[in-house]
Amino acid sequence: MSKLTLAIPSKGRLMEQTTEMFARAGLTVSKVGHARGYRGEIQGLPGVDVAYVSSSEIASALKNGSVHMGITGEDLVRETISDADTRLQFLRTLGFGFADVVVAVPAWWIDVATVADLEATSLPFRRVHGRWPRVATKYMNLTRRFFTAKGFGDYRIVESLGATEGTCSAGTAELIVDITTTGETLRANGLRILDDGVILKSQANLLASNVAQWTPELEDLRAGIVNSLTTLKSA
Amino acid sequence: MAAESTQQFAALEAQAQILMTAFTKAGHEAVAPAVIQPANVFLDVIGESLRARTYVFTDPEGTELCLRPDLTVPACRLHIARNANPATPAKYCYNGPAFRFQPQGADDAHPREFRQAGIERFGDMQAETAEAQTIALILKALEATGLTDWSLQIGDLGLFRSVLNAVQMPERWQKRLSEAFWRPDAFRAELQRLTTAPGAAAKALPADLVAVLTPGDIAASASAIQTYLDGKAIEVIGTRTVEEMAEHILDVAADMSAEPLGAKSAALIESYVRVKGDALSAGQTISTLLAGTKGGTGAALDAYDRRLALLANAGISLNRVQFSAEFGRSLEYYTGLVFEVHAPGLGADSPVAGGGRYDGLMRAAGAGADVSAVGGAIHTERLLTVLNGGRS
Repeated sequence: MSKLTLAIPSKGRLMEQTTEMFARAGLTVSKVGHARGYRGEIQGLPGVDVAYVSSSEIASALKNGSVHMGITGEDLVRETISDADTRLQFLRTLGFGFADVVVAVPAWWIDVATVADLEATSLPFRRVHGRWPRVATKYMNLTRRFFTAKGFGDYRIVESLGATEGTCSAGTAELIVDITTTGETLRANGLRILDDGVILKSQANLLASNVAQWTPELEDLRAGIVNSLTTLKSA
Repeated sequence: MAAESTQQFAALEAQAQILMTAFTKAGHEAVAPAVIQPANVFLDVIGESLRARTYVFTDPEGTELCLRPDLTVPACRLHIARNANPATPAKYCYNGPAFRFQPQGADDAHPREFRQAGIERFGDMQAETAEAQTIALILKALEATGLTDWSLQIGDLGLFRSVLNAVQMPERWQKRLSEAFWRPDAFRAELQRLTTAPGAAAKALPADLVAVLTPGDIAASASAIQTYLDGKAIEVIGTRTVEEMAEHILDVAADMSAEPLGAKSAALIESYVRVKGDALSAGQTISTLLAGTKGGTGAALDAYDRRLALLANAGISLNRVQFSAEFGRSLEYYTGLVFEVHAPGLGADSPVAGGGRYDGLMRAAGAGADVSAVGGAIHTERLLTVLNGGRS
């Protein structure tokens, strides 16, 4: 019988919180073999293979169906999969891994409170600097979709894979799109969130791939896992 | 419909030969710009929305490149590379592939790879002559391949600017309305704002800051803003300057005491945007609209009439020419005339050819200044489909 592959984050707080949540639901997740390995199992559920995968790759794996289920942040899912609602099922929000994807500008831009204000300053910026304002982000797709929906197109994306909050003071970008939980890091870097700049309020989700190979047995297993976690949430 | 079958390939080649012969006979030099282009120029001109429909990639050294989404920008770059003075007059033609990413999946109507045959001319002093000749040559080339049943759709961004000029309003409003023209929704919202509450945005500005600004004096206002920020211990970071912000804030603050745009002016702008119909009577309608306004009918309408007369002289029957004021709103780099050639069976969204005037593109491509530029391109697979009676 083929097994159900469940992808869970391979490191950091997201992995710890996922393991804790399963434990509270009576499901003990443990690594198989070497502690630094990337395979695991759930005690009492021999039909489930646990794969420890980096959070962003979990989204890709669900997208192409190479895993059946996974736990990762909605931000990464929406960024990686443009048609997420048809490729995946959002089974449960999990109540941890909270992060807002936001548009933030230098706090001293007192003339810019909204995306519309941003648009009003883009052309003058270009007249002076010879290029559109740059948006530093690792969320290129979310950023583009959000600004397109707001009718704003006069900007350039520069990809930033780390320390995005520092790009404005470093002079490599004019504004950023990044995740924040308390806003503290943004403030410390002289940035402020636009009034209408919250792109997505994200948290960890339990997801199932619609394109993975499902059998009636695997669907039963899935229902079991969802049930355990649901009982836990309402408890 | 890429040229995947041998037969299709041969038919496209034969057709391209006819088109290129027509172009070169008219004095256009055949050129073959590079397929791989720096992404910068395209992204800077068209903006980030282009990334969603262009194959942008990073080479092993980290340089952002793209597969050309059209041949106009590549032709500009080629011209700049050849001429120390980009205003040097030149006429080019080309035939080659262009690439567009199709987010909803590629199909015959929305190919990811297609061939454009087109012409560009740079540095002309006589704008309308160059425009009329460009349209006439595109039509002549189409007819040489056997297309007889075409219609021509034109628009004119110069006319829109002269309508704004004709209306009593501050220059900053004209600037904003012409920038918003590309986005019909934003345009309506801006017009609504100007006619009802132009000062609304200013209310968001701190009153104690507005109080210390000097209207009309950017330098003085910038130093007042700097003092204000220092007082609040807000650090100025990044590349935007306080002077830039001062200029913007002065504009916004000026709106606070501005009279709303008059209902008559707004109605004039709205009436213009709705003008649509055969090219001759559209010209008369616009002339009637503008008569008696501050700016009068203006140079743009003269240019419009002159262009139509030149088209008629070139043997183009003007009752096949339709004007629409809204036309050209989705074509971001055009600055004046815009045109599309339509053929039966292709649908309104699939013109068989299109082009226009784009004087600002050379500067964006690195020329250092605007250069008179007008051109047009034929979608060769669509043309072949029409000539084959709708079959691909």
